[in-house]
Amino acid sequence: MSVWDLPATRQGGRVVRPYVMTGGRTGFGAPAIALEAQVATTTHGLKMRHMFKWEAAEIIGWSREEKALIELSALLDVPIGVVRVLVADLRSHGAVTVSDPPAIDRSDSGYTDLLQKVLDGIKSL
Amino acid sequence: MESSHSETRGRTPVKIVVAGGFGVGKTTFVGAISEIEPIRSEALITEASIDVDDLYESGTKTTTTVAMDFGRISLKHDLVLYLFGTPGQTRFHFMWNELARGAIGAVVLVDTRRIEDCFAAIDFFEKRQTPFVVAINTFDGTRVHGIEEVRNALQIDTRIPIMYCDARVRSEVQDALIAVVEHALDMATSEAATG
Repeated sequence: MSVWDLPATRQGGRVVRPYVMTGGRTGFGAPAIALEAQVATTTHGLKMRHMFKWEAAEIIGWSREEKALIELSALLDVPIGVVRVLVADLRSHGAVTVSDPPAIDRSDSGYTDLLQKVLDGIKSL
Repeated sequence: MESSHSETRGRTPVKIVVAGGFGVGKTTFVGAISEIEPIRSEALITEASIDVDDLYESGTKTTTTVAMDFGRISLKHDLVLYLFGTPGQTRFHFMWNELARGAIGAVVLVDTRRIEDCFAAIDFFEKRQTPFVVAINTFDGTRVHGIEEVRNALQIDTRIPIMYCDARVRSEVQDALIAVVEHALDMATSEAATG
C-alpha cells in the first residue's frame, strides 16, 4: 500500500535534529501515550494545519485516517518519544483525538466482553 | 466546530506481544498474518542511542530485529489488533515493559534447538502475570520434541497452552493468536470468579 511509502522528500536526510521539533522536551513527566493508541485528525485540526510546522503538520496529514502512535513514528521516521510529545501538543490544541487502549482489568466484565470480541474477530479472519 | 467525522471514529486498539529468542521467527510470525508488511521501527533505537554492531550471533542469520516489528490486523470496524515483536537480544530487554504494558497477551516462540533462548521471555510474562502461550516454531518442518518434553524443559504450569506453530503459515499463526486470547479469557473468567 502506498500509504506505507514514505514521501520522496524524506529520503534526502534530515537537517533538523529530532528533539528540536519538541523544543527539547522528551515527554518525561506526562503519562505516556501508548504505542498502539489511535491518533485521528479532527476537522478543526485540518483547518489549523498551517499553524503547525514539520512533523506536527505531517501528523495532521497522516492521521486523517486513524494511525497508531507507533505507525506515525515509522511513517515520519522519528523517535517515538518525539511523536509522543508532538501528538500530545496536537491533542491539547484539539487538532487530533487520541483513543487509548483499554485498561487491562481481568475482574471487569467489560474486559472479558472485549476479549470475546477480539477472539471472534481473529477467528473470522 | 469541534465535531467531526474523525472524532467519532475512535477505534479501540488492542495488542498482543510476540516474544522469544533472537532469530526465532517473530518477524515471520507477525508478517504471516499482518495486513501491512511488518514495519521495523528503529526509532526506538535512535532514541536509546544503542549500537547495532553485533547482528551476527545467531547461526546463519545475518540480520535481525534491532528494534521491534509491528503488524496490524483490523478485526472489526471499531477494533484493531497490533502485533509487536519484541527485540530478541537481551540488551534490548528494557523495552519489554513498554511493549507489554496493556497487552492482552503474548506468544512466546520457541526454537527447540535453542530452547534456553526463550527463558527470559517466559520469566518476564510469568512475573507480570501476562497471559501467554508457548508456540514451538516448526519452521524447519520438524517436530523434534514432544509437547510435554518441551513443557518439562520450560518448567511451566500445565494450564499454559503449548502448541506447534509454523510461523510462515497464516492459519497456524491465527491458531496461536486464538489460543492466546482464549487463555486470557480463561484467566479473566477465573479471576472474576475468585474475586
